[in-house]
Amino acid sequence: MGPVKIEPQRALDEALKFQQKLAAGVRTLRSLDEVHFGATPKEAVYREDKITLYHFKGSGKPRRRTPLLICYALVNTPYMVDLQEDRSLVRNLLALGEDVYLIDWGYPDASDRFLSLDDYINGYLRHCVDFLRERHDVDAINLLGICQGGAFSLCFTSIYPEKVKNLITMVTPVDFHTPDNMLSHWTRNMDIDLFVDTLGNVPADLMNWCYLTLKPLRLNQQKYIGLVDILDDKTEVENFLRMEKWIFDSPDQAGEAFREFIKDFYQGNKLVNGGLSIGGKDVDLKRVTQPVLNIFAEQDHLVPPAASRALEKVVGTKDYTQLAFKGGHIGIYVSGRAQREVPPAISDWLGKRSP
Amino acid sequence: MSETKSVHDWAKDWQALSQQYWSAWGDLARQAGAAPRFDVATPWHEGLEQWARLFGGAGRQSEVVERLGASAKSFVSLMQSMLSTAAGNDGAAASVWTDVLRQGFNLPGIDASLLNNPLAASLRDLSGKGAHSLEQGMAELLRLAAPVKQEWLNLLGTPAFGYAREHQERWQRLSAALAGYQEQTNRYNALILKASERGFERFQSKLAEREEPGRQLDSVRAVYDLWVDAAEEAYAQVAMTDEFREVYGDLVNAQMKVRSLVQREVELATAQLGMPTRTEMRSVEKAVHELRRAAKSREDGMASVSAAELAELKTELAELRRQVGAAKKKPAAARSVPKQAVKTSKSKR
Repeated sequence: MGPVKIEPQRALDEALKFQQKLAAGVRTLRSLDEVHFGATPKEAVYREDKITLYHFKGSGKPRRRTPLLICYALVNTPYMVDLQEDRSLVRNLLALGEDVYLIDWGYPDASDRFLSLDDYINGYLRHCVDFLRERHDVDAINLLGICQGGAFSLCFTSIYPEKVKNLITMVTPVDFHTPDNMLSHWTRNMDIDLFVDTLGNVPADLMNWCYLTLKPLRLNQQKYIGLVDILDDKTEVENFLRMEKWIFDSPDQAGEAFREFIKDFYQGNKLVNGGLSIGGKDVDLKRVTQPVLNIFAEQDHLVPPAASRALEKVVGTKDYTQLAFKGGHIGIYVSGRAQREVPPAISDWLGKRSP
Repeated sequence: MSETKSVHDWAKDWQALSQQYWSAWGDLARQAGAAPRFDVATPWHEGLEQWARLFGGAGRQSEVVERLGASAKSFVSLMQSMLSTAAGNDGAAASVWTDVLRQGFNLPGIDASLLNNPLAASLRDLSGKGAHSLEQGMAELLRLAAPVKQEWLNLLGTPAFGYAREHQERWQRLSAALAGYQEQTNRYNALILKASERGFERFQSKLAEREEPGRQLDSVRAVYDLWVDAAEEAYAQVAMTDEFREVYGDLVNAQMKVRSLVQREVELATAQLGMPTRTEMRSVEKAVHELRRAAKSREDGMASVSAAELAELKTELAELRRQVGAAKKKPAAARSVPKQAVKTSKSKR
C-alpha cells in the first residue's frame, strides 16, 4: 500500500473547489475597501517629537485607580493590541475596569537616525510614565511591556523602580541566547556598526523580510494557500487583510537604537549576563522587586518560550507569576483563546496587587 | 485508486476535469470582459496568471493578489502534477511521490538556479511591497549606481599613477568587495539548496510513515501540508547551524561593504555637482539630535527643580496647617502663627 491514496472523485472535488474559491475571490477582493485597524476610541493625551501617548475610552468608568501603560515594541505599530472590535486586548482590559494607555512610537525618519535607547527609555518612556503619575496623582503606575517593549519595561523598572507598581511582560525576550532563538543566531556574526553606518535607519521592509525568512514557506506560501479557503467569506478576508496590513505597515528603526539593541541584547545578552547600561544608568534586573507577571506564548517562533521563561531566574522580585499561553507570538493578542484568557489573567493578577 | 474506477475511467475523468477547469476560467474571463485563451492542454497554473490579470493591477488589494497568485500558482502546478500521477498509482512508493512533488515545483521556464529548490523560489518570492530582501536591495543598488559603475569600469584599465591612482585604488576595493559579495551569495545559496534537498528527504521519510492502512494521505492539500512541515523543519535545522550563522553574517557584512563603497562613489559624484552629500546630511542630523537632547535636558532640569520646589511648598503648607490646627486648640490669647515658617516659605519662592 502506498502512502498517498487520492480517490478520483475527491481529487476532482478538490481541484474544482480550489478554483471556485479563487473565482469567488475576484468578487470578494474587488468589493473590499481599505481595511483599518484600531477599534477602540482613544484620545492623545501627551505628545513628544513623533511619539504619542493615547488614553483609551471604555464604555464605563475605569474601576482601577492605578493606570495601566502598554509599552509596545519599536518594530511594528502597536495596534496589534487593538486590531478590531472582536480581537482587542485593549477593549477587553477596559471592559474589566482597567484604565489603559498606550505609547505609539511613530515612524522615525532621517531626523531620528541618532535616537538611542537612552532617548527611548530614559526619555520618552520616562516622560510618559511621569505624565501618568502626575495625571493620576499616583507614585507609581502599572506597566505592561510587549516583546521588545517588554525588554524596555524591564530596563525602565530596574532604573526607576519607584515609578512602577506592578510589571507585566508579554512575549518578552530576556535570555537572547537560548538554543532555539533563530533570529538571535543570525545576528551573532553581523557587523552591526557597518550595518547601521551604511543603512542609517534600518528599513522596515528589510526587517519584515528577515522575519518572513524565519519560516519562508509557512509565512509566504502556505498562508496564502490557506487564504484561498476563505476567499468567499468577506468578513474572514477582511480579517486576513487587516492582519496583513499590520504585518507590512511597520516603522523604520532608528539607527542608533537598533545598533544598541542588537549589540547589547542580541549579541551581548546583557539582560542575563549583566553589564547593561542605558544612557549611563546601570540596568540590573535584581532591582526589579515589584510584582511581575510574565506571559509568554508556547508556539512563539520570534521569542522562544525559553527566552521569556529566563526572567524568573534573573529578576529580583519574590512575587513572580508566569503564564504560558497556548499559541504564537501574534495569536496571544488576536486569537479567540487570547480574548478569553489573557485580559482576565492580567486583570485578576492586578486586582490582587493594585487598588 | 478507487476500486470502482479503472485507469481508463480515471483518464476520462481527468480529461473531463481539465475541460471543466478551463471552462470555468473561460467563463470568469468572459465575465470580466477578457478573451479566454486556453485549451485543455494548457498547464493549469497559467489560469492563475489570467486570474491575476482580472484585477488589472490597480486594485486596492494588489499586493495580496500578487502574493496569493504566486503561492496558488505553485500549488496548482503541484496539484496538476500529482493528480496526473494519481491515476492507477495507489501503490506508488514514497520515493515516487517525492519525485512527483519535486517536479511539480519546477514550473516551465523557471530560473535554472531554482530547479529542485522550492525554498530558494519561496525566498525570492518574499520580496515585494513591505518586504525587501537583501538580494533585491543589492540589485537596486547596482542599478542606481550604474552610471558610476560604468565610469569605474572604464578607468579600471587606466595606469595607476598620478591623479588616477587614488580613484583606481577605490575602484579596486569596490571590485574586490563585489567579488566578495558574490562569493558569500554563492555560499548562502548552497546552504539553501542543501535545506531544500533535506526537505525532500525528510518529506519522503514522513511519507513512508503513512503507508500503513488508515494513515494514507487522501488529498493534494494534505500532501502539500506534509511537505511544508518537512521543508520548514529541514530549513530550521540548517539555519540553526554554526555554518549558516557564519555564512549569513558574512553575506550581510559583504553587502554592507559594497553598499558603503558605492555610497562613497556616489558622494564623490554628487559633491562635484555641488549637491549635499550623505555625510553632510548625517552631520546635520546629528547636530539636530544633540540640540534636541540639550533642550530636553534643560526642560527636565527645570521640571525637576519645579517639582522639588513644589514638594517643599507642600511640606511647608502641611506644617502650617498643623500649627494652625494646634493653635486653634490653645486658648485665644496664646494663638499666633509662627512668623519664621512664613518667612522661610516666601524666601524660597
